[in-house]
Amino acid sequence: MHRVIAILENTFKESIRQKILLLLVVFAILLIGISLFLEPFALGEASKIMRDFGLAAASLFGILTTIIIGSTLIRKDVEKKTIYTVLSKPVKRSEVILGKFLGLSALVTLLVLAMLMMQQLVIFAYEGAFDPRLLIALPFTIIEVMVLLGILLLFSSFSSTTMTSIMGVIFFVVGHAMPDLKLFADQAGVALLKYVAYGLYYVLPNLENFNLRIELAYGLPLYADQILFSICYGVMYITFLLYLTTLVFEGREFK
Amino acid sequence: MLKDISLDIHEGEVFGFLGPNGAGKTTTIKIITGLIRPDSGEVDIFGEAVNSLAAKQRIGFLPESPYFYEHLTGHEFLKLHALLHNLKDYKERVRSLLERVGLAEAMGLQLRQYSRGMLQRIGIAQALVGSPDLLILDEPLTGLDPIGRKEIKDLILEEKAKGTTIFFSSHILPDAEAVCDRIGIIIEGKIVQVGDLATLLKKGVKTDEISLEEWFVQQVRNQGKDI
Repeated sequence: MHRVIAILENTFKESIRQKILLLLVVFAILLIGISLFLEPFALGEASKIMRDFGLAAASLFGILTTIIIGSTLIRKDVEKKTIYTVLSKPVKRSEVILGKFLGLSALVTLLVLAMLMMQQLVIFAYEGAFDPRLLIALPFTIIEVMVLLGILLLFSSFSSTTMTSIMGVIFFVVGHAMPDLKLFADQAGVALLKYVAYGLYYVLPNLENFNLRIELAYGLPLYADQILFSICYGVMYITFLLYLTTLVFEGREFK
Repeated sequence: MLKDISLDIHEGEVFGFLGPNGAGKTTTIKIITGLIRPDSGEVDIFGEAVNSLAAKQRIGFLPESPYFYEHLTGHEFLKLHALLHNLKDYKERVRSLLERVGLAEAMGLQLRQYSRGMLQRIGIAQALVGSPDLLILDEPLTGLDPIGRKEIKDLILEEKAKGTTIFFSSHILPDAEAVCDRIGIIIEGKIVQVGDLATLLKKGVKTDEISLEEWFVQQVRNQGKDI
């Protein structure tokens, strides 16, 4: 485990010092800043929109950071040959994958948490009180980030950086369109189309399982079975993706 | 493509692995370090399969023209590799190695700020961090100025004096001649000569004295290669 932690720490430091991250942080502050000016357009719904917008911004920020840094995580190491010295040490390839996965996940967790805290400050400035219930969004955003990062690591273990980031965006968009895909499958008239749509629905990651924005922003109740299902679904999906990535990476040759 | 490579490296010796560009030196080294697998055959290090953690615990490797994590400081970079070797007293080991390779003052700088020579020295330091019994260096002298080459040669000789076995490839033949006990020549993926440096230089030449460089050129020409 100490080797995984060493790689985790290395990935965290290497990622947090990238210039692109600074740009992303500026973007995040701008997004939160925008919510300060929403009130005149909110028709009395300012407090809900501020919450909804802030949660969406934090999630988008986490996803963007994950796609931009995550798609280069393994690829850059291979292309720049930095992986050579690491793999010549007494370390398993699966430990390298896990360390990198946890390192970037830790960084994104910190960034999304910082953004949610900023949102709390904005809410406090407007309403004189915090709304800590919104922080429930953090673990679910992070599970979504981890699923997406698992997909990025899988693709980056055999594909180019560009292709990996494109796949990241596609999986993000498709992952959030799962309820529509389900509706399409339910209503499709042609049997073959129906089966294909259902097949995709059950195989592709349903990222809407981790979206609690409406419930949190509008103060709707959360149900324990729904929460438990989302967590189990996320953990299983992440485990499966990391297992697949390790399989590909174990067989990889560095010519 | 490599063909029937068979090499025995003796304990405590400096073995120079020489050959023209594209001869298969780096490919051989990548097989020895487990980065690629041979189509057939086996590679053992100290009786263990190359990809086993037990074998890797005993080797140190510096790749050709290495690039390192550019946003890490020299200290952080060495610490990472020390932790991968599971060194409990990594702080002392990292500190003493940074001093030994002359980078103690630069240890807080990120690696992107290091010169070529400094990168090569931190690269050697990461290879040495686990106190390896076998040190594998791929073109450690390439791209360095005379001072840089002298520093790396001195480090190689210091390690040899400690009893470390060193296997290194090089294009810089006068330098190889200065540090090697034995050499192996690879041409088009085949080992054509292996042996004690002094004996090989005498073998098959008419003049009394011949440099490794001249001898190497002869060997390659004998194989029908233009250089």
